[in-house]
Amino acid sequence: MPTSKLLEQQNPDGGWPYRHGGSWMEPTVYAVLALTVAGDRPAADRGLAWIRTGQRDDGGWQVRPGVGESCWVTSLAALLPGDRLGSKQHQRAVNWLSANTGLESTTLYRVRQWLMGGQASPETKSPGWPWVTGSAAWVSPTSMAILALERENRLHPAPGLESRIEAGRQFLINRMCKGGGWNHGSVRALGYESDAYPETTGMALAALRGCQGREMNQSLDLALRFLNQCHSADALNWLRLGLTAHGRLPGGYAAPDRITYRTVPEVATCVLADRAVQGQSAFWI
Amino acid sequence: MGEGMTRRDWIAGSAVALAAAGCGRPVRTTPSETTIVRAAYDQRLYETVRHVIAAHRLAVRGRTVVIKPNLVEFEPQSAINTHPMLVHAACEAFLAMGASRVTIAEGPGHRRDTLDLAEAAGYFQTIPGFEDRFVDLNVDEVTLVDLPQRFSRLNRVYLPNTMLGAALVVSMPKMKTHHWTGATLSMKNLFGVVPGGVYGWPKNVLHWAGIHESIADLHSVFPRQFALVDGIVGMEGNGPIQGVPKAMGVLVAGTDPVAVDATCCRLMRIDPMRIGYLRLASGAPADFAESNVRQAGEPISAVAQPFALIPQFRGLRLESGA
Repeated sequence: MPTSKLLEQQNPDGGWPYRHGGSWMEPTVYAVLALTVAGDRPAADRGLAWIRTGQRDDGGWQVRPGVGESCWVTSLAALLPGDRLGSKQHQRAVNWLSANTGLESTTLYRVRQWLMGGQASPETKSPGWPWVTGSAAWVSPTSMAILALERENRLHPAPGLESRIEAGRQFLINRMCKGGGWNHGSVRALGYESDAYPETTGMALAALRGCQGREMNQSLDLALRFLNQCHSADALNWLRLGLTAHGRLPGGYAAPDRITYRTVPEVATCVLADRAVQGQSAFWI
Repeated sequence: MGEGMTRRDWIAGSAVALAAAGCGRPVRTTPSETTIVRAAYDQRLYETVRHVIAAHRLAVRGRTVVIKPNLVEFEPQSAINTHPMLVHAACEAFLAMGASRVTIAEGPGHRRDTLDLAEAAGYFQTIPGFEDRFVDLNVDEVTLVDLPQRFSRLNRVYLPNTMLGAALVVSMPKMKTHHWTGATLSMKNLFGVVPGGVYGWPKNVLHWAGIHESIADLHSVFPRQFALVDGIVGMEGNGPIQGVPKAMGVLVAGTDPVAVDATCCRLMRIDPMRIGYLRLASGAPADFAESNVRQAGEPISAVAQPFALIPQFRGLRLESGA
């Protein structure tokens, strides 16, 4: 995937839109990561400058400046190398992320559950990460947070990080669908099993890099089946990343022609998946 | 607490009742009009839709219309998504009535790859120039809006500018059962206007604020709506995704989404009075009593068929004569 598509879509403020319009954090971080691994420093630097100015006093980032509170995109910022983002800014991002959990893991929620006659959630012991503060943890934000904290822990090991990563991984294991793989994070509703999605399966597999066992094999087998059927660039990119993380992407695999790359995150994560296959990953060390 | 009632049921029921009593809209003085017509996914659908929309005398000349279908999953052969031919027929009808622009807009709640989803659902193939007509509401420009009526604890919500700029919002859901709300119709379809780019996938903030209450909140934001429900093939059982197709052969339409959804419930043999968001959004249950909805086209009794309900929702079944 050529990075020229990304260069064409960079906004004058240095950030990137999803497709067109104003700049958002998610496409900007993916574009910066992709341009960084591809060696295009000037455009990446303008993107980094835009990202730096968006950090809030609490250390987190909003989805875009002025919209909402600090949220899951902070994990994306924390994926950026500390020497590129700025070591102090990076540390504050990691601190914000370490302290953030889904609402169901909080004491307030446990009391509420008791009042409502419900059972204690297994997430009490294995908290994941929410999209936004004040809601439950889900698979995608948990996967991204694990990738960011694992990367940090490899560079600067800390017991607190280690335990949080392990708890997050257990959250993902708990949210695995019955036949393997992951959807957005709802394993069953009213007793009915839910099906896995390709994109979230790939993302969770990337976050569970290094994990082994029967359930992992089941999910990896499912990811391989998805690889030959999926309809979207997002799904294909994350399946390639997830399978590569476990050394299971078939040798010489080529993306099918039917896939259309329409958004900045799709183009950027395609670049990142290409590089990961070649042994240069922005998501893990 | 009644027999079989949990603390959860009691608290949830009380909250809905309190909200309905304290926050409802004024009681209507004129009945809403709802149209039921027989239809199929064939070329006659274009003429049928044109007639239905024209019958409601919508003032769209020179104005922007935004059509909001229900796009959920990558399964074109299922009854999950609003059929693309129906969406195309509505686009053509509004353009023929002089609308200055007709935009199709959706923000799916679980899957992030919206355009790929639309492609798999047949929208690109069926609707010429689809990509130029479509806005992904999950990543649209947004504005923070004060909720006119506060049924949930959300006081304000970010909403896409495409929806806020519409002179007419056309909600085009699939007629389906729903494993959290009992039925998903034109009002529940508005969950898709809440931007995932701000709130995530799923839009879990709405669940925590109360699903029924959030539906009523969103309904209150858009004063000019038209509902056109795809009941040609609906979904029964464990909807809105894993249910079974249900051939009904009808479209249901009207300018009052509460009345339209209540009529759809009656067609599905679901008691609308037991659907929390309908109770909240109406001023009083009498508002959507069958006698207070002026029914055009087919009578309910001629086309109603009971939708299978999962055990947890069997209590919603409309009793005979209700």
